[in-house]
Formats: sequence, structure tokens, C-alpha cells
Amino acid sequence: MAATPTPLEVRNIKKRFGDTEVLKGLSLEAQKGDVITLIGASGSGKSTFLRCMNLLEQPDDGELYVHGEQIRFKTTKHGREPADWKQVVQMRAKLSMVFQSFNLWAHMTLLENIIEAPIHVLGKPKKEAIEHAHALLDRVGLSARANAYPAQMSGGQQQRGAIARALAMDPEVMLFDEPTSALDPELVGDVLKVMRDLADEGRTMVVVTHEMSFARDVSSKVIYLHQGLVEEQGAPDDVLGNPQSPRLKQFLAPKY
Amino acid sequence: MLDLQGYGPRLIEGAGVTVQLAVLSLILAIILGLLTASAKMSRNWLLRRTATVYTTVIRGVPDLVLMMLLFFGGQIGVNAISDLLYYNYEIDIYINFNAFTAGVITIGFIFGAYMGETFRGAFMAVDNGQIEAGKAYGMSNALVFRRIRFPQMMRHALPGLSNNWMVLLKTTALVSVIGLTDMVRVAAEASRATHEPFVFLIPVAVAYLLIASVSEWIFARLQKRYDIGFGGQ
Repeated sequence: MAATPTPLEVRNIKKRFGDTEVLKGLSLEAQKGDVITLIGASGSGKSTFLRCMNLLEQPDDGELYVHGEQIRFKTTKHGREPADWKQVVQMRAKLSMVFQSFNLWAHMTLLENIIEAPIHVLGKPKKEAIEHAHALLDRVGLSARANAYPAQMSGGQQQRGAIARALAMDPEVMLFDEPTSALDPELVGDVLKVMRDLADEGRTMVVVTHEMSFARDVSSKVIYLHQGLVEEQGAPDDVLGNPQSPRLKQFLAPKY
Repeated sequence: MLDLQGYGPRLIEGAGVTVQLAVLSLILAIILGLLTASAKMSRNWLLRRTATVYTTVIRGVPDLVLMMLLFFGGQIGVNAISDLLYYNYEIDIYINFNAFTAGVITIGFIFGAYMGETFRGAFMAVDNGQIEAGKAYGMSNALVFRRIRFPQMMRHALPGLSNNWMVLLKTTALVSVIGLTDMVRVAAEASRATHEPFVFLIPVAVAYLLIASVSEWIFARLQKRYDIGFGGQ
């Protein structure tokens, strides 16, 4: 037995939208300090899989453990649902998500965005939350923009701000849902750099991405999904450097 | 201060009644509107159905008919309930279903239906990503509502809300029909007694205009407040 519980473990996750089965039984285990990247073509189910981990999507089947605690489900006429929403809310507070479209709260300044959940969800004193927020802003290089509203910031700044918001929760695991896909190419680098720093300091991360260089250089494990199933997984050098399946070879081949 | 042939103080009192009636009706309408909007967006069939019946009835029946129905029927209903309570549980209550109460309830119910539509549209205009971010950071539904959905919804709701308020304000004039002494009724009485309608009705018109202008100013300030962060004014 490990001394600390596994931060995040999902087993046999299944999900269908109408007649289409998008996840056909996926499992993942993130140990402390792991950086797991999920890659695959669009429609492979990687984002849906990630969203099942904090229950923004309700899986139709499968098990979910956060920090060793199993999330309980029940079956209602609307389908499978969490049995105890309080448990879900507490679980989500341990997993911070960074979204493709940033989703900073538009009616709050960057600083207000960062202190919002620590104060209202974790019950942190306001003064302490503000101090922590300033330290985080400094880290992601946005000290000067604390009082800016998201609409006044570039995409890259918004995404780094969103990462600061995620860090403010001091999360067990950080979930990244294609964090650089909505950014102009010249802004991608800054965001990836922040993520790389987080990986280096031992943050546990699950990252859905199209950035193969990030997957290769930063992650401890790569999972390639195809049509809702794991096609290949393992160390980045093996999966990306020596792909076995024809589909993954094709996926990794230069597109021009 | 204008004496208005001795009717001045009563007219001012009437104006006070108008404002009180309008504000209380607005509060009731906003509460009912939020409930109706939630019911219409609920996944519970019965709630959705009830909300639809409510809005359909309100929209299809003239305001004045509803008001008289409630005023004349309301007291009968209230009496029936208090009789029932007294005979079965020996609870002795008496509720005076006066014109003011009837007015607030009727106007509140009428505009609750319209507000329901305003709020529903406004809630649907809030970007889902904003709500998901709240959930993903461990906020309960109540917290997401209070901190994210409501403040962002208000920005979309305010133009409709302000419109509804202006119409509501003018609708309060109808309560003079069921005997409430608002400023319209005072003016009508004075006009009949003195045969000088303009002396009384023009000040009343100006008073409505004044209330409307003040509210427009308040709504403009509110809009500015809720537009913060969304770029452009």
C-alpha cells in the first residue's frame, strides 16, 4: 500500500450520447506527481473522458475514486447519477479544471476570479486568499493585470489567469482540457511554459492536448485514444517514439 | 406647494399609494418571475406544465378582469379558508382582503408571468462555460446561482425588466376601479367635484412621468453596474 492515497483513479468509464457510445470502458490512474496526457483525433472521446473525471459529464458506467474515496452513484429515471451531490461538490474542490475556452468569470476581475472559490468553497479568509492570489499572479506573470476583467485580456493571459485560479484551490489533481487549442500560435508558448513549470514542481496533472511536443517532453505517461478506447499507452518515448498501431502512426505522421 | 383647490395633500397621499403599490407588486413579480423561469427550465414535467398554464392564463385574460376576480373572489376564498381553519382546528384568523392587497397580488401575478419570460431568456443567455467553471471549482448549485448565474443573467434581464416596470407602473392606475385611493382616483373624484379635470389630471400625468424618469435613471445605473466586465456599455 502506498503511504498516500492515489489522487485520482477511474475505472471502466462508459458514456453514450444517444445512440453513440463515445467512451467504451476507459481507465486511468494518476499517482502523485504523474503528468498524464490524453491524445487522439477529435471525436476520440478524450475531452469527454476528462469531463467524466469531475462529473461535468455523468458516466453511464464505471467507478471513480478521488484521494482514495469512492464516489457513490444511484440509478434514477434520468439515468445514472451521483448518490450524494455534497460528495461530488467536495470532490470537485480537489480537482481544478482548466478549460479550452478559459471560462474566467466575466463579471469579476482577474483577482476576484482567483479568490472566488478559495473564499466561498474552501472558506479561506479573504486576506489570506488575496495574498495567495498575488503570489500566483506573480508566478504566471500577470501581476500587472490583477484588476483587469477577462474581456480586457488576451487569450494567453486569460489562460494563464485560469491556471492561477486553478492553483489557488491547491488541488490534488489539475485537469487540463485542451488548454492551448483556442490560442493564437504565438501565445501558446507562454501557457505551455507555465504548465511545464507545474509538472516540474511535481503537480499531478491530466492533460488533454494536441501539443505533441508537450506530451513528449513533459508527461510521464501518454494515452492514445481511438473511438472511445485506449489504443496505445505508456511512456512518451515508447508511444510517441515507437508507435505500434497503424492508426497512431498515421495520427503522428506529419500532416503535410 | 400647489394647493389644487384643497386636493393637494390627498393627491400626494395618492401618489404615495401608487408608488407603494408599484414597488410591492414589482417585488412580488420578480419573485414569481424567478420561480416561473426556474420552473420552465426544470426537468420536472409538472413544474414546466404549471408554469406554462400560469403564463398562458395571465397573458390571455385582461388585467382588469383578473383584478376584479381576485378582489371580489379573493375575500370569498380567504373567508372560506379561515372558516375551514376555525371549524377544524379552532385557529381564529381574519384576513382583510382589501383593495391594496388585491392590487399587489393581481399586479404581482400578472407581471410575474411576463418577468418569467424575461428571466428565462436572460438565464439562457448566460454562457454555459461560466456555469461549468463554477461547478468544476466545487460550487454548489446555490452558490453558482448566487455568485455567477444571477449576476450574469441580470445584465440580459435588465432591459426587459425595466420595460415591464414601466408598464407595471401604469397598470397600477387600474386599482382605482376596485376602490383603492391612489392618485388617479383622487384626481378623478376631484375632477368630478370641481368640473376642472385638467387641474388634477395634468399633475397626475406629470407625477407618473416623474416616477418613470427616476426609474429610468435607476435602471441605467443598474445596467452599468451589471455590464461591468462585458466590454462596451
